[in-house]
Amino acid sequence: MSKLSAWVPAALARPFTAVGGVLFLLAAMLPWATFLLNDGAYPEKATLQFFDAPFELTGFRWHLLLFGAAAIVITFVPLPGKARVLRALGWGGLIIGLVGAIFIASEGGGLGAITAADGNTALGSIVALLGGIVLVLGATATGIEDLPHWPTRLGSSPIQQRLTAYVVLIVAFAGVLWLVSATLTAGGIGGAAFPYAGPIFLAYLGFAGGLLAALHGVGLARWISQLSEEHRAFSIVVLLACACALPFTEAGSQYWMQVAATIGVYAATAIGLNIVVGLAGLLDLGYVAFLGIGAFVAANLSGAAASSLGWDLPFPLAALIAAVVAGIFGAIVGSPTLRVRGDYLAIVTLAFGEIFYRSSQNNIGDLTGGSNSIPGIPPVTMFGTPFNEPFTLFGTELPTGVLYYFLIVVIVAIIMAVFANLKNSRIGRAWIAVREDEDAARAMGIRTGQVKILAFLVGAMLAGLAGAVFVHKLGTASYSSFQFLESVTLLAAVILGGMGTIPGAVLGASLLFVLPEKLREFDDYRLLVFGLALVFIMRFRPQGLVPDRIRRAEFAGETAEGKPIEEVEEQVVLEHEQAEHEAPSAPKEGKA
Amino acid sequence: MSAAQHRAAETVLQANGVTMIFGGLTALNEVTISLEEGRIVGLIGPNGAGKTTLFNCLTGLYTPTRGSVRMRGKELPSDPAKVTAAGIARTFQNIRLFPNMTVLENVLVGRHLRMRQGPIASVFHGPVFRKGERDAKEKARELLTFVGLTSLEDEVARNLPYGDQRRLEIARALATEPDVLLLDEPTAGMNPQETEAARQLIFRIRDTGISVVVIEHDTKFIFSLCDTVSVLVQGEVLVEGSPETVRDDPRVIEAYLGKPREEVEAEVAEAAEALEHREGNA
Repeated sequence: MSKLSAWVPAALARPFTAVGGVLFLLAAMLPWATFLLNDGAYPEKATLQFFDAPFELTGFRWHLLLFGAAAIVITFVPLPGKARVLRALGWGGLIIGLVGAIFIASEGGGLGAITAADGNTALGSIVALLGGIVLVLGATATGIEDLPHWPTRLGSSPIQQRLTAYVVLIVAFAGVLWLVSATLTAGGIGGAAFPYAGPIFLAYLGFAGGLLAALHGVGLARWISQLSEEHRAFSIVVLLACACALPFTEAGSQYWMQVAATIGVYAATAIGLNIVVGLAGLLDLGYVAFLGIGAFVAANLSGAAASSLGWDLPFPLAALIAAVVAGIFGAIVGSPTLRVRGDYLAIVTLAFGEIFYRSSQNNIGDLTGGSNSIPGIPPVTMFGTPFNEPFTLFGTELPTGVLYYFLIVVIVAIIMAVFANLKNSRIGRAWIAVREDEDAARAMGIRTGQVKILAFLVGAMLAGLAGAVFVHKLGTASYSSFQFLESVTLLAAVILGGMGTIPGAVLGASLLFVLPEKLREFDDYRLLVFGLALVFIMRFRPQGLVPDRIRRAEFAGETAEGKPIEEVEEQVVLEHEQAEHEAPSAPKEGKA
Repeated sequence: MSAAQHRAAETVLQANGVTMIFGGLTALNEVTISLEEGRIVGLIGPNGAGKTTLFNCLTGLYTPTRGSVRMRGKELPSDPAKVTAAGIARTFQNIRLFPNMTVLENVLVGRHLRMRQGPIASVFHGPVFRKGERDAKEKARELLTFVGLTSLEDEVARNLPYGDQRRLEIARALATEPDVLLLDEPTAGMNPQETEAARQLIFRIRDTGISVVVIEHDTKFIFSLCDTVSVLVQGEVLVEGSPETVRDDPRVIEAYLGKPREEVEAEVAEAAEALEHREGNA
């Protein structure tokens, strides 16, 4: 992306970014589509009736307006990390324009729909696209500066510093809560009832991504993460409070609570997988089997009528047994790791995943119900309250499923604590040492075999625990939930989010399980879009969205002279291109 | 060396008739060496003589085809982890740190054997766990100070300069609290100042009561460092003795160096210069 900088002279940077901002403002005012779609105007405020409800959260015009105004202001105001911020705004607006243009063109029957038809002109999306390009070009013209540093100690006395940090953290996490709620609800439920959920959501992602990247560019994101590291206990409390506050926001409907709980299950599982893959460096392609084992064990112990065992244990006990059984299987699967490494281990785990899937499909041992699955698993009941009913808290009627959400929050918190504590211990260091250099680890006296099996065991236990909640929430335990694709998606979540970190695994799991939910009406294209998104993220951010401190350093890539590697590469490419340019032209001149 | 240091000492490490055959290739043939407590033994020999193979046999990375390795009279198992537990630590010819861990974490991994926290304690981080963790960090910091890396504990190991990586590897090995330290080319690629610092460091390690075996190509370094020197040629010990005897032994000069000493010394000097030159460029 920084290669764009060669296209615009540095002197024109300001005019370019200002024009880009103006184009965004213009795009927000212009009509986008020249027609009404069957179900009404696309997407909501996309037609001439913009000013009906311009300030709703999902109104992408409002986002463009915001970005445009911000770009114009920032152009003329000194700001640390200015180029980064402007570039982020540019890309955000560009994505909004692109999503709109593609959707309107494909739904409206070609380019006419976004340009001119029936005597109307609707250049909104084109102008937004153009604005985005101009803004990005202008922002990168002067080169991208280093991330600005902010002081983490504000105020003179320690108490003052602490208080300011607390206030900042509360505001920041409240912002995160708002963003999560908005992201969940953006575009609505989707599916047949509301066909525009997908594009609206994607346009919203452009906005959210641009906003976050801009905050990152100005140094705010790093500042907050430093502050939260310094005040870890407080941050955890605030984060938990925010998680518990989610049902009271816009996202507090039955549907979104269910989605959030499902995401929570996968996030918990992804954190468990992160131990195996991220810390110990063992590639596991059959990890979802442990989620499945936990699920089936819990299903059989919880008094489902279809269960052949027919035991009825209280949920905490059933969940514990599920975790232990999954852990035992984890150790069994882990034991070949004593003999096989790398690719071979991946094949062993792949085979295990398949064995589990096939045997549960065929109801081996009469424990999985086979293709009938195990239906009718009673809801978790604690303190006399069944979890599948609405719940009233502080006089607010909370929707069905909210108790499962709270349960998941607790489980995820437990799993996070286990992960973080293990990572910073003798065991965690041994895992990382095995990942880094197995022979050197052995030379340090680490029994690598035991350590690897332990990684599998702990990872599987956490997945088993998540599986127990999963199955109660669904009410049915079916083999079809534990396919190979799920393992791959979990692995993708870990790598996408950033290996070895908690926020990474949570963010990765959220993205990978929200996107398919949101992109429903794309049906056939859903996996394609999804795959493309993965390819792009991995191309432009190989360290993952939230890399840990070490991988951040690894990919920061400074060369000996202190130039970012990208820049040097760019120079090399340029020189190369130049050389190529000159070489063929020389003989031509000779002939002339 | 003073006479006091030459008094009869207990044999710590003893390799007896160690033979290592890879397929049809005999890498080590009936190698017998011994290391006395508090001594520094040098191991020299041309490339491919089997020096590193011998280290790998001593540390359990390879199982010798024949022969035995004894530590204070007890036979060592062929499992690196158990050998380390028995009190032998090593560094590697091509530095093998944990590149993405910090300097302090690298040393803490070396403390693995000397810590007792199991998985349950690691999950709950109770007071006993925290005390163990504090003690380990304190010990690790002491070692970093000992090798001279005090201010670098939060650096990522891969970002350290070459010489510091070598020192960190030594600190990590010392963290296992060994009786015997095996150093595989500890000064490879170092300039004269760094080499001298490494020499002093090895003396200081010896002074703490740890016996040291050093593989090195730099003969000047070896002769000024070691109490005894073994010359390994084509998998066999050719000569063994004090630096003086080894240095003047015509067989060594011929077999190891192939030429009279003066010529070779000139070559060595040249090589050192070339190395310095290369370093300067880098």
